[in-house]
Amino acid sequence: MKKRIIVVGGGLSGLMATMKICEAGGQVDLFSLCPVKRSHSVCAQGGINAVMNTKGQNDSVWEHFDDTVYGGDFLGDQVAIKGMVENAPKLIEMFDRMGVTFTRTAEGVLDLRNFGGQKNKRTCFSGATTGQQLLYALDEQVRMWETKGCVTKYEFWEFVKIIKTKEGECGGIIAQNMKSMEIEAFAGDAVIIATGGPGFVFGKCTASTICTGSAVSSCYQDGAYLGNPEFIQIHPTAIPGDDKNRLMSESARGEGGRVWTYRDGKPWYFLEDMYPAYGNLVPRDIAARAIFKVCVHMGLGINGENRVYLDLSHIDTDYLNRKLGGILEIYEEFVGDDPRKVPMQIFPAVHYSMGGMWVDIYHRTNIIGLFSSGECDYQYHGANRLGANSLLSATHSGTISGPKAMEFTKTREWIDGAKAVSAPLTAEELAKAKADAEAEFEKLMAMDGEENAYVLHKELGELMLENVAIERHNDRLEYCGKELVKILKRWDNIGLTDKGRWFNQEVMFVRQLRNMIVYARAITQAALQRNESRGAHYKEEFPNRDDENFLKTTRVKCNPQTLAPEIDYIDFDHSMIKPRPRRYDIAKGGK
Amino acid sequence: MSNNTECVHTDFYVRRLHSLLGIVPIGFFLLEHVITISQVLGGGHAFDAAVAKLAAIPHDILITLEIVFIAIPLLIHGIYGMYIAMQAKLNPGRYGYMRNKQFTLQRITAWYLVPFLLWHVGYLRFIVKGSEGISFAQMSSYLDNPIVFALYVIGLVAAIFHFTNGLFTFSITWGISKGPRVQSVVNKMAWGLFVILAAVGVASMFAFIG
Amino acid sequence: MAEQKKVHFIIERQDSPDSAPYTEEFLLDYRPAMNVVSSLMEIQKNPVNKAGKKVSPVVWECNCLEKVCGACMMVINGKARQACAALIDQLEQPIRLAPARTFPVIRDLMIDRSVMFENLKKVQAWVAVDGSWEVKPADRQNPYTATEAYEISRCMTCGCCMEACPNVGPQSDFIGPAAIGQAHLFNLHPTGQYDKHKRVGALMQKGGSSSCGNSQNCVQACPKQIKLTTYIAQMNRDINKQALKNIFSK
Repeated sequence: MKKRIIVVGGGLSGLMATMKICEAGGQVDLFSLCPVKRSHSVCAQGGINAVMNTKGQNDSVWEHFDDTVYGGDFLGDQVAIKGMVENAPKLIEMFDRMGVTFTRTAEGVLDLRNFGGQKNKRTCFSGATTGQQLLYALDEQVRMWETKGCVTKYEFWEFVKIIKTKEGECGGIIAQNMKSMEIEAFAGDAVIIATGGPGFVFGKCTASTICTGSAVSSCYQDGAYLGNPEFIQIHPTAIPGDDKNRLMSESARGEGGRVWTYRDGKPWYFLEDMYPAYGNLVPRDIAARAIFKVCVHMGLGINGENRVYLDLSHIDTDYLNRKLGGILEIYEEFVGDDPRKVPMQIFPAVHYSMGGMWVDIYHRTNIIGLFSSGECDYQYHGANRLGANSLLSATHSGTISGPKAMEFTKTREWIDGAKAVSAPLTAEELAKAKADAEAEFEKLMAMDGEENAYVLHKELGELMLENVAIERHNDRLEYCGKELVKILKRWDNIGLTDKGRWFNQEVMFVRQLRNMIVYARAITQAALQRNESRGAHYKEEFPNRDDENFLKTTRVKCNPQTLAPEIDYIDFDHSMIKPRPRRYDIAKGGK
Repeated sequence: MSNNTECVHTDFYVRRLHSLLGIVPIGFFLLEHVITISQVLGGGHAFDAAVAKLAAIPHDILITLEIVFIAIPLLIHGIYGMYIAMQAKLNPGRYGYMRNKQFTLQRITAWYLVPFLLWHVGYLRFIVKGSEGISFAQMSSYLDNPIVFALYVIGLVAAIFHFTNGLFTFSITWGISKGPRVQSVVNKMAWGLFVILAAVGVASMFAFIG
Repeated sequence: MAEQKKVHFIIERQDSPDSAPYTEEFLLDYRPAMNVVSSLMEIQKNPVNKAGKKVSPVVWECNCLEKVCGACMMVINGKARQACAALIDQLEQPIRLAPARTFPVIRDLMIDRSVMFENLKKVQAWVAVDGSWEVKPADRQNPYTATEAYEISRCMTCGCCMEACPNVGPQSDFIGPAAIGQAHLFNLHPTGQYDKHKRVGALMQKGGSSSCGNSQNCVQACPKQIKLTTYIAQMNRDINKQALKNIFSK
């Protein structure tokens, strides 16, 4: 009998895991709340890091390893990272064989580009849509496996929760058909959660609208630990949109873009003013904090809104077209202004979550039978992610979680010699889990309070963005934690406007929103307790890194009664590269 | 799908046949028509002379030619063409691009030409040619009726458009013109041919009614 | 203060696949930088129609909002396009939104495009690799061919070409431009071309490339400017070659 593995999420990591499972002879039930080809992985533009060493720079895997550990401010598990960077060139060759349309040199080999935080050219890319191309390659392969009958896709099915056996192991999942709203219980020999990041917790961000972190939060509430959730990467220059914030490549500043806003009726080039040595080329985090300060604390944003100018209009148009053509077109398309003539308006935006579900190096969570891979796990990036390492970690983690899940179905072995003892879920157990989930859903459908879920979400995002994103102060974090409890309370008072039982998006969002609020509490609490500055986590009160107390992984457990986060700190492997001070140089090129 | 290379691909061959028949022989026959009627521009007797030349072809051979090169191709092209036209939902109102308008016209002209040709062939070939015979005098009096004249002018122009636009689509369907530049050139040439043929044809029609 | 500028929407709605469509109008407060998606998000926050009646929020599909996932395709003022890139300032009002009815409607503006993914199976739009494990590294590729391939592989299966094509829809079995372009994409790949005869064979079948009527709307509608008509002509050429081969070599 074939082993059945449930994969939740059809982005790079989920699809990679799916393919690996099929190759190992397993059967996959693949769940996604959208057609997998539309997953958020498509948004990654810049590239994927791998040491190909084809540019005469004597690049080495060790160098990539060191850059990743250093970039992550030494909070990444070094065994895991080493495995990833060693695997990277093989993954590129795999993608090349699959037909990914990598950009090539004149002699037909893969071209490499520079990326921030790395001295060597190490980033393979496919025009400006690398994520899209990589995702499509795996989508195609999984479609091939689908035609062979090894994959069953459940698209437009939303993951609701894991089903635990009476021994507390993960035996399957509850999922809901988004069209018919029917709830179903699925048994699996193992479950892999690959549902991406929680960007939507911060409201408008660079992530897709589906990146709510809801699935992770649901597992967290069922006992899975989170790791390092306080580490959220901010991109300094995003285009604030009415619907979302879109990335504006760092290369705009690299090519001479000046950042300014009006002060006393005159343009104020505040980056040049505040940081004369680096001017507009200060690193991402410093630029983000300066822009935040000018807008939020000084109230000097354009028209009082949270945005400042990123000005290219003083630069020769031909030069701009040659160097930045593609990204300027994006701005023009989504904003309607020509950045060659009018200064662009930008503001920092939440971009990536380094933290996520706690996993060991084999992507096993603390719940037996439950794996997690991709952005939704906490592995590989430590306190800060290098550009072009996200596509790598997403793919690589799938090459671990998939085979390890298959292995588990045979050996039944778990972390620290633990062994799975549960029998597969019986029909009665599945029926009961289904009935419980249906009852929960009926409660949602019956909600008829005063609050609008989408408005409440907007408030949640604004609260998080203001207090937990770019700049963190303990008093603000404490305040935010209390506000989140209030928002959670207000959630109970939501009223559904859509009472329909056919593709009711609102009721699904209400459930996601609750999970987002619970996740937000974990982020906030973890940020509050980490009294140091490291990577993306910055506190003015504690401006330095504190290796003595905080060279540790934050582990968050959810209190099942109060839903409050409970934090402890655990050791991780940092034996290979000794922590050294992380000094920012000027970030170069790319995103 | 695994054995799709083993399929007979009937639909493919019928479609290619439909496309080919539109040019050879139907298109050529249309050209012959336009050339014959254009003789009238040289006067009624010139037209009568041209008709007489065609009539000189031995009867048995003519009938065979008519059946093999005209009747059967027209029937195949017409019947299968209606099937093709029924698979389109015309949308030039929403997508008012030139090529889409051409696509729409190709189908509208097709729907006009089916009854028109039944009438045209039925009356002139079977009734008139079978009795009094085609002549300038007969055509002049026939076309003197303004309704008949209008329907004939429309029919002629529609047939010419259907043919010349068909040349353009033929070049794509058969993979001859591939890129946007060559397709644009072929399209312009097709339009040029349309203008010439339509001008000659319409002028000839007016020449009939003097 | 001047009177609040409004944005007027007329939205074609439908509660379920089988129910009758109806239109509902909404008036939203104008804000700078609005687009169709952000307007629909506003309706979610305050689902009240023009008549002041509270209604269920409009259902539509969107993910990335960067014109790369393909989800939010709908018919805006008569034309199929991505809602995330449809700026209110550039649209004539009232703005009419409708689902792309070439596809079955699920609810409101939400449509079922699974046929497009099924089409990708038909034309075997993949390179049949032996496995994800290490094999020989891939061959070099002509960078010019690779550039052409890149252009096609940006296709996000949004369905604009399908909606614009007069020959695609419930009345026809035409596979549509997207899948033909994808078949050509994999025919360009050094190892993908090993299966070229299968893809060409699939498009030789009923509803394949020869069902194209050359309206050429697809190339105009494609939000990624993929030269679909060029690839359809190329496929026609390849099919002719294969037809000759089938006739004379088998």
